[in-house]
Amino acid sequence: MRRAEALELLAAQKGDGVSVATMRAIPDWYDAGAAPRLHLDNQGCMGAAASFGLGIALAQPGRPVFVLDGDGSLLMQLGALATIAGAAPANFYHFVLVNGVYETSGHQPTPASDRIDFAAMAQAAGYQAAYEFDDIAVLRERLPSVLEQAGPVLVALRVEAAYDRRNLAPGQRPSDQAGHLRSQLVG
Amino acid sequence: MSETQTANFADSIPAPLLHGAVRALGVTHILSVPDTHQKTLLALLMADPELTTITLSTEDEAICANAGLWIGGAEPLVVIQNVGLFAAMNALRGVAMDMKVPTCMLVGQFGRDVRKPVEENASTGVRLIEPVLQTMGVTFYRLDHESDVGQLRKAFDESRSERKPVVVLIGAPTA
Repeated sequence: MRRAEALELLAAQKGDGVSVATMRAIPDWYDAGAAPRLHLDNQGCMGAAASFGLGIALAQPGRPVFVLDGDGSLLMQLGALATIAGAAPANFYHFVLVNGVYETSGHQPTPASDRIDFAAMAQAAGYQAAYEFDDIAVLRERLPSVLEQAGPVLVALRVEAAYDRRNLAPGQRPSDQAGHLRSQLVG
Repeated sequence: MSETQTANFADSIPAPLLHGAVRALGVTHILSVPDTHQKTLLALLMADPELTTITLSTEDEAICANAGLWIGGAEPLVVIQNVGLFAAMNALRGVAMDMKVPTCMLVGQFGRDVRKPVEENASTGVRLIEPVLQTMGVTFYRLDHESDVGQLRKAFDESRSERKPVVVLIGAPTA
């Protein structure tokens, strides 16, 4: 499936939740209308998205937190799977866009891209549940029930590698995004 | 950037004193990758029912989770060791500095010979942390003796008021 169509489905479910997006998910997430409100981009420290989301989920237990991660990004802080499983935030939903390449830097393959299984790793780390989808119709049908489950939940989304050269900093992004999101959450 | 140059080196720093100082900050969450130097302090923090202590796999995660907690309205404190801070330089730069996130860190000087000044220690982990922080423009304070405990409040308040990382280097094992 295409990343953009998968993210459109997730965006429709965001509601008053908070989202964190990393790297190539960022432009599509803005296009889907799920940002900049209640949203944080991560591009300055690959691998950070899940830990950002963990902190927000712990501080804001009444809101669902959607983390839009990438396979290459998650591999850079893979220990976060164990950390998140240990902290066990019930409002944490971890979507990993698996395209098998480092798209931004020129489509180099990610390690073990032909065999790695993020859902199995999350399950083994101790997430409450983990899924993998590669078909948009199945994702559309199953997503509502996935989001009814208590987290932490990981959903691996097998998507096609794209050739998106858009800027990772959409024009709508506030200059002080961390402060802006904090003011939305805390006042 | 250190404001103290303690002439007399302590063999240890009382953990209950530091625990009390942490509580007085109004901290809600402790983010820790365990540090041998601060193990008695960590034991007190983990046993404190008023604090939520999260053990993370890496120091990168600690700095990033600190950001998420602060954004969400909590008051986190990072407790790690010197070699862990070396491992987390990209998060320190890309998150705490570039995103202007208040990040107060207690950093144990693991491997330090307390009978010698930091600059004369054999361990590069001990000797190089201050020059690296200076190069990065990260403010740090030394907490080498119990009389330095006020540095923690100073560092915490500075991290909040200026939205930046501030490090407190714990120069002797807590006991």
